[in-house]
Amino acid sequence: MYLNLAFRTHFTNMTSGPYNYSYIFKYIIIGDMGVGKSCLLHQFTEKKFMADCPHTIGVEFGTRIIEVAGQKIKLQIWDTAGQERFRAVTRSYYRGAAGALMVYDITRRSTYNHLSSWLTDTRNLTNPSTVIFLIGNKSDLDGQRDVTYEEAKQFADENGLMFVEASAKTGQNVEEAFLETAKKIYQSIQDGRLDLNAAESGVQHKPASPGRPLAAPPAARDNCAC
Amino acid sequence: MDDVLDEVVPSEDLQKFEKVYHEQLHQGRVTPKAQFEYAWCLVRSKYAADIRKGILLLKDLFNSHAEGKRDYLFYLAIGNARIKEYNKALHYVKAFLEIEPANQQVLSLERQINKRMEKEGMIGIAQEIAFGLSNERFIWRSLSSVEKAKKGVVCLV
Repeated sequence: MYLNLAFRTHFTNMTSGPYNYSYIFKYIIIGDMGVGKSCLLHQFTEKKFMADCPHTIGVEFGTRIIEVAGQKIKLQIWDTAGQERFRAVTRSYYRGAAGALMVYDITRRSTYNHLSSWLTDTRNLTNPSTVIFLIGNKSDLDGQRDVTYEEAKQFADENGLMFVEASAKTGQNVEEAFLETAKKIYQSIQDGRLDLNAAESGVQHKPASPGRPLAAPPAARDNCAC
Repeated sequence: MDDVLDEVVPSEDLQKFEKVYHEQLHQGRVTPKAQFEYAWCLVRSKYAADIRKGILLLKDLFNSHAEGKRDYLFYLAIGNARIKEYNKALHYVKAFLEIEPANQQVLSLERQINKRMEKEGMIGIAQEIAFGLSNERFIWRSLSSVEKAKKGVVCLV
């Protein structure tokens, strides 16, 4: 009986506990190979820097619960591989993204030059309400800078993108990029610009109170058949 | 959806890459790229038959195309885990980690596979216990009240 109860408690907790967040936002991280997309994700979810980060295979997935305006929001983040051979399939992950973090490396000009191609893909494959945030990564390597802040800021402004320079290594501005994107998405929901019922809005609303009744537990005692 | 093992490919994507693969197959030459893209979609299908087909295509690539070996190993692990062939999945994970022992993406996949094995193992044990209990009850109910009295058991409930 003890075992039986122990299992029941375990599964109740596992399957039917109330949601501890009110929304789920889907993010994608895109950009050239080696710009530090996975390192940014790792810094954001684990608060650690991954040195010698190997090339991502296909897509990687991470989550973190954050708070915006008193609401708990679960971020589901798809970190896509930058290598060309994955690009055809990773495009399908753009669909239904509420936020897109588009990353380049401030020390490699070519990764900046390719931004318009990443932006075209993003615009074509996401919704008009998708928030696109441009991140110039590796800001700790200022001495090797190949793209000025002003130039990138201008590109961002011209294309209506949010923008920061960040460092996955030191953590500088990493939280900001993920959180500011969430704030902007949340604002769009409040303003009614983002339709929660649209299939591909990239946002799911979850009731904060228990969404479904807990499964009625079987009788705690076995009825005696005498 | 909480990890990569839960993710299901949209059917239009599966169809898109299936079409490319079949066109190339029809022309008599399938590129590793088309085969991989199709296999990558297949192992994320909700149907076990698709996943098994994806596994076969990936095994074929693994033996014929050296350049993408780490990608093929990774998706062989995912495909096998999705059809609950956990030991095979862990075998591919181990093979990968022998070459890149610190790969976080693969270490995280290994944790997810172990978590599933543990969870499903517990469900299995719980089912066995439940089955055992109901069997005992069945035997007990089958006994006549006289037999119960003979056994000297006093029911307090």
